[in-house]
Amino acid sequence: MARIKIENVRKTFGKVRALDGVTIDVKDKEFFVLFGPAGAGKTTILNCIAGISMPEEGMISFDDNIMNLTDPAHRNVAMVFENYALYPQMTVYDNMASALRSKLYKTDEAEIKKRIEWAAGVMKMDNLLERLPGQLSNGQKQRVAMGRALVREPNVFLMDEPLAHLDAKLRNSMRTELKEMQENLGSTCIYVTHDFMEAMALGDRIAIINKGKIVQIGTGDEIYYMPCNEFTAQLMGEPEINIFTARPLVGSNKYILDFDVNGERISVDLPYDEGVYSKLHDLRLENVDCGIRPQNVKYSFEPKEGYFKTTVYSYESIGNKSVIVAECGGFQLRMIAPNGLNVAIDSEIYIRLEIDHAMFFDAETKDYIIRYDEAGFTAFAASQEEK
Amino acid sequence: MAGLTLEHLYKRYDNSGKKKKIKNDFAVKDLNLVCEHGEFIALLGPSGCGKTTTLRMIAGLEEITDGKIYIGERLVNDLHPKDRNIGLAFEDYAMYPPLNVYGNVAFNLRAKGVDKETIDKKVRELAPLMQIDDILDKMPVKLSGGQKQRVNIARAIIREPELLLMDEPLSHLDGKARQAMRVEIKRLINKIKCTTVYVTHDQLEAMSLADKIAIINFGVLQQFGTPTEVYDDPANEFVASFIGEPPMNIMTTTIINKDGTFFFTFDGSNLQIAVPKRYYSVVSDGFRCRMGVRPMDVMIGGADSKGTPEEIATFENLGDERRIGIRVGDVLMMLITEDEKRYKRGDIIKLEVRGEKTHLFDIETGDRIREKA
Repeated sequence: MARIKIENVRKTFGKVRALDGVTIDVKDKEFFVLFGPAGAGKTTILNCIAGISMPEEGMISFDDNIMNLTDPAHRNVAMVFENYALYPQMTVYDNMASALRSKLYKTDEAEIKKRIEWAAGVMKMDNLLERLPGQLSNGQKQRVAMGRALVREPNVFLMDEPLAHLDAKLRNSMRTELKEMQENLGSTCIYVTHDFMEAMALGDRIAIINKGKIVQIGTGDEIYYMPCNEFTAQLMGEPEINIFTARPLVGSNKYILDFDVNGERISVDLPYDEGVYSKLHDLRLENVDCGIRPQNVKYSFEPKEGYFKTTVYSYESIGNKSVIVAECGGFQLRMIAPNGLNVAIDSEIYIRLEIDHAMFFDAETKDYIIRYDEAGFTAFAASQEEK
Repeated sequence: MAGLTLEHLYKRYDNSGKKKKIKNDFAVKDLNLVCEHGEFIALLGPSGCGKTTTLRMIAGLEEITDGKIYIGERLVNDLHPKDRNIGLAFEDYAMYPPLNVYGNVAFNLRAKGVDKETIDKKVRELAPLMQIDDILDKMPVKLSGGQKQRVNIARAIIREPELLLMDEPLSHLDGKARQAMRVEIKRLINKIKCTTVYVTHDQLEAMSLADKIAIINFGVLQQFGTPTEVYDDPANEFVASFIGEPPMNIMTTTIINKDGTFFFTFDGSNLQIAVPKRYYSVVSDGFRCRMGVRPMDVMIGGADSKGTPEEIATFENLGDERRIGIRVGDVLMMLITEDEKRYKRGDIIKLEVRGEKTHLFDIETGDRIREKA
């Protein structure tokens, strides 16, 4: 188990800059998630830690020992991939013992047995040890693959999208199983994914990566409630956050948010919030981008005070709830609704934005400015981290 | 008027050349379906369940072992595919690479010998509807996955078919593109009102697109109904577990009688759930069956709750919602909450279950056990 540090790592493939000055510091026994879209450089970071890729610049250290020149076999890292790569002709027990019996580790059988029994207990698979891989479900194979890595007592687990090839339902249930195992693992773990639910559910901390750069590092709550820019805000949450450009205007001792819907001007009073008001006052921006999560958009099928008129673009189930997309002036607004409503496409729907849940971004740079009750969320996120 | 009727449809692949005899050699077994004119039907099931075989039989690409297929009022069993008046959109786009989008869309009409002006009119009419009006001059290699699929579907519907058949048209697309395309397909079908059969293994796609869903397993129709029907009133355990995400919690239970009140109990767990009164006519002390309840119908009780205290095995914060797992014997029972409170493993919560939302299934056959009226 070790603290893994990567400092200012750069890596290029031909003309492509895959990693552009990446710095992360993973604490001992932390479950750290690398999250970003395809091609962001997540796997390259993992490969640099494993020693499969050599960075051109920067330092990689395990517990303050610099590892740049150590070959992969001697870094004692355990990789768990999408395919579990179990030996099909060996029982689960032999699969788990295989690494320890190799020349590199040469462990005696009594010790191997002890460690396998311990790992099988952790992974809740005592009853599987005599089986062949062909007799296991996908979830069980995953446990074996992790158990095999665990017996080696590696410095760090590196997991590269271990659930990506599964269909949505199986992926969710496997994620839950992984979460159950994770706390028994007691080991440093770096986990690569492009699925925000995996990132949120599993990560003690998450690093958001885009185009070879770290965009933001924080706990799930910090990133969800205080994303550092619009890119991050859009990554977290399903359906995606609504972001629209509006003009903040100064009214009589209050701010008004002003935007166009179907050529009609809509004005929404901004409730007083010290943080929001002072930022808007200091920055004096002509336009701000306002971000509102779909659960903070309310709807009504009848005209109502404080609601503005739009039309239904689509209504569809996303499992345990549904999404209504409303269209107003070419702009689409997503909101959450229960399943089983009778909503006709292109019918009228009235919308209200819960502006006191909004976050604001710079309309030019797309960077985060402030959100409602920022102090409250900062304190909330910090209290979670202490736990 | 029926748009499509399947009567006692069978398909058996010839295994005579193979050494090993396959036990269940019917790919499709006694399938009966009636699809109303203009209806959107999804054939849903796990891979290998016979849904694509069914679609191919409707299209005429696969021979029928037994049974009848009607498109509208016409018996089409012996009709050549080209004479069945159907439009096809499959997973792979199979576009003509030397032709641009316009050429691809117009191809079928040109082959039929429709005159140029009519073709041009039709293509120009359809293009904005399919949102391909700005890419008509592009070559297929220059298109994104979503654009290709739109062209593909445009090609199928420009012939104004009586029946549109789609086989997993979205499975090539990833996450967001898929969701966006799903919305587009739904809007489009809503506009053109063409009878459509849509094959998918993704229950979400079926739930959000279809007017009615036919759920198939091992070549046998399990249930045919609207999305709400199959979700709220599943015919058997297979349907119950296949529809819904996260899936329904389904556990083996022994019912006990405590002073005239029945409770569900579970092996290896102290959880007890009161049996709703409506099941009293079908249960007895010591009765064993499977009990299913959806994760949204399991709740965390307040301080004065009478629910059973249970230890949290997993807590997942997903941002928009939070999922909690409780060990009930071998099963991880899930519940979903939008409550902002953060729990951790080992915390004790009181579980409450909406009794009226529980379903009972036969332990052997998996069939629904319904209360007696």
